Amino acid sequence: MAVLTSSWPSLRPLDIRRTALVIIDMQVDFCAPGGWVDQLGEDVSNTRAVIGPISEALAAARAAGMVVVHTREGHKADLADLPLNKQWRTRAHGLGIGDMGASGRILVQGEPGWQIIPELTPLPGEIVIDKPGKSSFHATDLEDQLRALEITCLVVTGVTSDCCVQSTIRDGFERGFECVLLADCTAAVETDNHLATLDILSAFGGRWGKISDRFAFQQAVSGGGKGA
Amino acid sequence: MVPPEPGLSYKSVAANPYAWPFDGQWSSADTALLLLGLQQCAVDALQAREAVLAARDLLLLAHEHGIAIYVARREARPEKLASDDHVAPAAWQWARDIALPEDAHIITHAGDNAFYQTGLENSLRSAGIRNLLIAGLPTDGLVHATQRTANDMGFECLAIADACAGTTPARHAAQLRITTFGNGLFGAVADLAAVRAALTPS
Repeated sequence: MAVLTSSWPSLRPLDIRRTALVIIDMQVDFCAPGGWVDQLGEDVSNTRAVIGPISEALAAARAAGMVVVHTREGHKADLADLPLNKQWRTRAHGLGIGDMGASGRILVQGEPGWQIIPELTPLPGEIVIDKPGKSSFHATDLEDQLRALEITCLVVTGVTSDCCVQSTIRDGFERGFECVLLADCTAAVETDNHLATLDILSAFGGRWGKISDRFAFQQAVSGGGKGA
Repeated sequence: MVPPEPGLSYKSVAANPYAWPFDGQWSSADTALLLLGLQQCAVDALQAREAVLAARDLLLLAHEHGIAIYVARREARPEKLASDDHVAPAAWQWARDIALPEDAHIITHAGDNAFYQTGLENSLRSAGIRNLLIAGLPTDGLVHATQRTANDMGFECLAIADACAGTTPARHAAQLRITTFGNGLFGAVADLAAVRAALTPS
């Protein structure tokens, strides 16, 4: 897949002290064999293909001492935070959130399927956000935590690009964060929807978010040194 | 036409990917029409008169049935105005084809989401609204961003495709396709005709 543009840092030099790497929903249920998406009979090869690239971006961020944020979509065991229409749609789709599957109850906090995949396990001190919605900002304290750390720029990775990644970038923009999507570190179940998301983000000259890749990111955080 | 009694459900709307709403319950007591970005500047920039005329018909249809009307428009705060945002004041006005009923609720927002830092959610919740008919401009901007937030909040959303226009036709189509993915990740999509049919007594 071609990266459409590599137009970042777009406005100002990267200040890694004010930049966070955000890794969205790299959970067993979305991107591992036996997880929810796999059990729905859908193809997880797209979402698995970005594990390696995200690992590289994560290693660069950790080496540079950047703030790292991991998110997990999930609901409380009593499903009090699960909208009825969200439950109904997923049940009608084949396997409902909260129902028992091969990796425990689907997208329920604490279950095996809800865990972040072992390749990207958060380290102590990294921010972990539990979110009941698609946007990482909905019903979470992510904005407060970022403001407290004086973060102004979000480098976004994870899955899926058309869903939770797009919601998080849109909400990040709305709150005044400069958002950059690493196109080689995000994917959707359907490639068409992934490519459409990149095209949509290019509207109005990248108003909602810019598009880059892990090589440019690695170069930027290592102070303009050699790319990977 | 006499509006149905509040609480009496209309027929389900033939929508994609499921007959909307999910629980089959919608009426003037629990449903609002949310019209977004129907400002003349957006209509001109997107060449979206056709969608605006459909939105106008949707507005008339909803009003006739006693469905509450919420209209949102962007009004940039002076400090947020980028140089390319400077347009004549008249262009910020409502689209020329739209005439709002007196009891329409008007929401003013600064960015690309009608919920962010506005009273929209409180207003909808206090009115007992659970279902939203959504239309406006652009499909892949204000409309979809607002629908995503509404969906996270638990509102049951139906985007009216022909009463929306995107920044390009391809983005319009793709954004609506993404809306319906996974049996309706962000709700359902239908045409104005399907809403009209559901509201027409059989």
